[in-house]
Amino acid sequence: MSRIGVFVCHCGENISRTVDVERVAKEAGDIPGVAFSCDYKYMCSDPGQNLLKKAVADNNLDGVLVAACSPRMHEKTFRKAASAAGLNPYLCEMGNIREHCSWVHEDREEATAKASDIVKLMVERVKKGKSLAPITVPVTKKALVIGGGIAGIQAALDIADAGHQVVMVEREPSIGGHMAQLSETFPTLDCSQCIMTPKMVDVANHPNITLYTFAEIEKVEGYIGNFQVTVRKKARSVDESKCTGCGVCMTKCPKKKIPNEFDQGHGMRTAIYVPFPQAVPNTPVIDRQNCTMFQSGKCGVCQKVCGPGAVDFEQQDTLIVEPVGAIVVATGFKLYSIERQPEDSPIQGYGEFGYGTIPDIIDGMTFERLASASGPTGGKILRPSDGKEPKQVVFIQCVGSRAREKGISYCSKVCCMYTAKHTMLYHHKVHDGQAYVFYMDARTPGKGYDEFWRRAVEEEEAVYIRGMVSRMYQRGDKIVVMGSDTLVGVQVEIEADLVVMATAVQAQDGADLLAQKLGISYDKYNFYSEAHAKLKPVECATAGIYLAGACQGPKDIPDTVSQASAAAAKVMTLFAKDQLERDPVVAKVNEKYCVGCLACKKVCPYGAVEEREIRDRQGNLVKVVASVNPGVCGGCGTCQATCPSKSVELDGYTDEQIMAMIEAL
Amino acid sequence: MKNKLMHLSNETMNVGFVKKVEALSGTSVRRCFQCGKCSAGCPMTAFMEHPPNRVVRLLQLGQGARVLAGRSIWYCASCETCTTRCPNKVNLAAIMDALRKLSWDADGPSKESYVQLANRLFIENIRTYGRQYELRLGAAFNMKSGQFLKDLMLGPKLLSRGKMKLFHQKNKNLPEIEAIFNRIEEMRKKGEAL
Repeated sequence: MSRIGVFVCHCGENISRTVDVERVAKEAGDIPGVAFSCDYKYMCSDPGQNLLKKAVADNNLDGVLVAACSPRMHEKTFRKAASAAGLNPYLCEMGNIREHCSWVHEDREEATAKASDIVKLMVERVKKGKSLAPITVPVTKKALVIGGGIAGIQAALDIADAGHQVVMVEREPSIGGHMAQLSETFPTLDCSQCIMTPKMVDVANHPNITLYTFAEIEKVEGYIGNFQVTVRKKARSVDESKCTGCGVCMTKCPKKKIPNEFDQGHGMRTAIYVPFPQAVPNTPVIDRQNCTMFQSGKCGVCQKVCGPGAVDFEQQDTLIVEPVGAIVVATGFKLYSIERQPEDSPIQGYGEFGYGTIPDIIDGMTFERLASASGPTGGKILRPSDGKEPKQVVFIQCVGSRAREKGISYCSKVCCMYTAKHTMLYHHKVHDGQAYVFYMDARTPGKGYDEFWRRAVEEEEAVYIRGMVSRMYQRGDKIVVMGSDTLVGVQVEIEADLVVMATAVQAQDGADLLAQKLGISYDKYNFYSEAHAKLKPVECATAGIYLAGACQGPKDIPDTVSQASAAAAKVMTLFAKDQLERDPVVAKVNEKYCVGCLACKKVCPYGAVEEREIRDRQGNLVKVVASVNPGVCGGCGTCQATCPSKSVELDGYTDEQIMAMIEAL
Repeated sequence: MKNKLMHLSNETMNVGFVKKVEALSGTSVRRCFQCGKCSAGCPMTAFMEHPPNRVVRLLQLGQGARVLAGRSIWYCASCETCTTRCPNKVNLAAIMDALRKLSWDADGPSKESYVQLANRLFIENIRTYGRQYELRLGAAFNMKSGQFLKDLMLGPKLLSRGKMKLFHQKNKNLPEIEAIFNRIEEMRKKGEAL
C-alpha cells in the first residue's frame, strides 16, 4: 500500500477563488493510498515547502502530489523540496489545477469537481511512479563559433580567454563580417576598421582559437556536450601554410575588372584576391568562376609569380570533423534588395523605386563604402553613375522594413541611427550639400542615441521630413523623389543627385538550411528563435546551442557584442562541469519485444533512435532492435505512441501510469 | 498655397529668412521635434490655418513665405502658453513676434487680418491720451477697416454701463509716456527692439 501525500495550493486567490481547495484536500484524503492531505495558501513559499518536507518525514510518505500550478512553473521547486526530504525527486508530481482548472472555469462547483478528478488521477500516476536517477553525459570542452563577424569574434575571444578551445568557421575568405565594411559607427563616430581589425588579429593569433575561413558547416551530429561537427573547407586554391601574404599574385593577375563584393560591387578586384587589405587571414583566394585558368586552362600567372609556390590549382574541398561541446551561432544578416523578385517570393521588391535599375539609388551599405577611407572612392562621396559629388542627397528610411505589403512587418532597428550618421558623414564631407531624410518614426532608444539623432537635425542641418516616398524616377541626371510631409500635410518633391535607402535587415541566405542542420528553430523570416524572449534570450530551445548577433533578429553593434559575451558566458557555464546532468525522462526500448521495424526511428524528431544488432555467442545476427541514445532523447514520447509492439516506454510516462490515470476517472 | 506641392531644394528653401527669424527671436527652429504641445495648448489654434507647430515646421523647411501668406501669426494672442510649456525650450511666442515684425517690414499691414490695424490704433491712442479712449478706438477702427457698422449696437450698452466714456480723459504725465515711446523708437533704430 502506497503512502502518498497530497498538497493542495490556493495560489493566493488564483485557485481558491474558483476551486474549493479545502474540499479537494479533504476528498484527496479519502483516496486509497493517500496517507496525508492538506491545503496551503502558497505551497511554493518557504513555509509551504517546509510543510511538504515535514509531512514527508512525519508520515513516512513514499510519493508526493502537489496540486497547484503548471509543472513548467514549479515542478523543479517541489522536486527539490521532496529530494531534500529524502524522497526520489521523480516520485514528486504536480497536478495542474490552475491553468487547467481555476483559470479557465467560472462555476465553483464544477471547477472543484474537476480539481478533485485531476488530483485523483495524478495520485494513481504517483503510485505507479519509479525512482529515477539523472543521466550524466560527459562534456567536450571545445566550442564551435559559426560566423566571423563582430558577434562571432566577441564570443570566440571571450570563450578562448576563459581557457577553452574554440573553432571558428567563416563562410567568406576573411573574418570581419559587415562591421569591417562600415565607415564610422554610431553614436560616437569612431572608425569601424580601427576598433574591428585589432579584434580580428586577436582571433587569428589566439592560441586557443582554430580559424577556418572560406568554410561552411556540412553536418552536425550529437547533442549538448557531445556534438560532432563536419566542416567543409572550400578549396582556396592557395596553400595557407605556404602563402606569405605578399600580394604579388594580385598585382599580376590579368583579370582586374571584377566587381568587389566587399565594396558592394562598386570597387574592382582581381580573380585571385583578398576581400580587403586588412583581411584576416591575409591569404588570397581564387574566384574560380572568374579565373581564366579555371575557365579556359590558360594563364597561371599567379602560380608563376608566387615565390613560396603557394598557388595550387588542384586543391580540393576538405572535410574536417571537430568534436565540440557547445555551438554559438553568429551568422549575421544580409540587406534587403529592392530588385524585382519572383512572383511567388514572400518578399517583394520596389517597382515604384525602379527595381534597382537607377544607378544613383543606392543602399546604406553602399553609402558606407563610399564614405569609408578604404572604399572605392577613397572616402569621397561621389555618386556611382558619373562620379560627381552629389549636392542634394535624399535618405529614405524603412525601405522594406515595416512594409507588410513587401513581406516584412518588423522594424530593422539600426536604420534610424545609421541614417542620422550618414547625414552627418555627408555634411562633414560635402559642406555645401543638403541632406534630406524621409522617415516614418525616428526610433532611437539607446544610450546617447536620441541625442545623436537630434544632433544630426539641430547641428548638422539635415532636413528630416516625416512621411514616406511614393515614387522615384530619373529625370535628366537627377532623381525625382515624390514624397510627403505629413507634419505640414503637403506633397513634397525633391530633385536629388543621390538617393540612399535604409533597406531592411534580413536573415542570411541559407539561414534556414543551417538551422535544419543544427536542429534549431527559426521564425518565418528565417531569424533564429531564442528559447524564451525575455528569460532565455541567448539560448536555443535545442540544448547546447546559443545565439549571438543579428542572426536572431536585427541588432546594432553594442547589442550584438553584449549578446555575444552572454552566449560566451553560457558556454563557459556549460564547460564549468566535467559531467552534465540531464532529466531522466527518456525513452527505453524493451529489446525482448522489439521487432526491429524502426518505426520509432522514422518519427523521432531528435534523431535519438539508432539500430542495434543483437548477436549470439558465435557472432550470428539474432535480430536488429531499436536503441535510444539517452543523451539525445528529448523525452517527447512520439516513439512510445508509434511503437506497434508497445516495446518503447518513456520513463515517468509509462503506459502503466497512463492507463492507471485513465482508469481513475 | 496651403496644399500646393512643395519643391525642396537649396533654391526653394529660404534659409536666410529662417536665420533672421532665429536671430530676432533668439530661439532655434531646429530644436523643435514636432510634438505638438504648443498647438495643443494654444487658445487660438482653432482660428489658425497653420497651427503653431506647423508654423515652426514650415520654418524648418525654409517655407517662410507660406507662413507669412497666412493669418496664423496675426491670430496669435501672445499669451506665451506655447513658450511656457515647450519641452524643447523653443520660444514660439518670440518666433511669432519676429514673424510679425518681418511681415510688417516686408509687406506693411496684413491683408489677411485687421489685427495690425487694431494694434496700431490702440498704441496711437495711448500715445495721444496716455490711456485708452475706447470710443475713438472703435470709431477709428470701423472707419479705417471699412466695416462702418461693426459692433455698433454695443456702443449704447457700453456707454450706459460706464464701460466706455463719451469724452476722452488724459493722463497727467503725458510727457513721460512720450519719453517711453521715444526711447523705444531709438532702440528700434539701433536694432535693439522689434
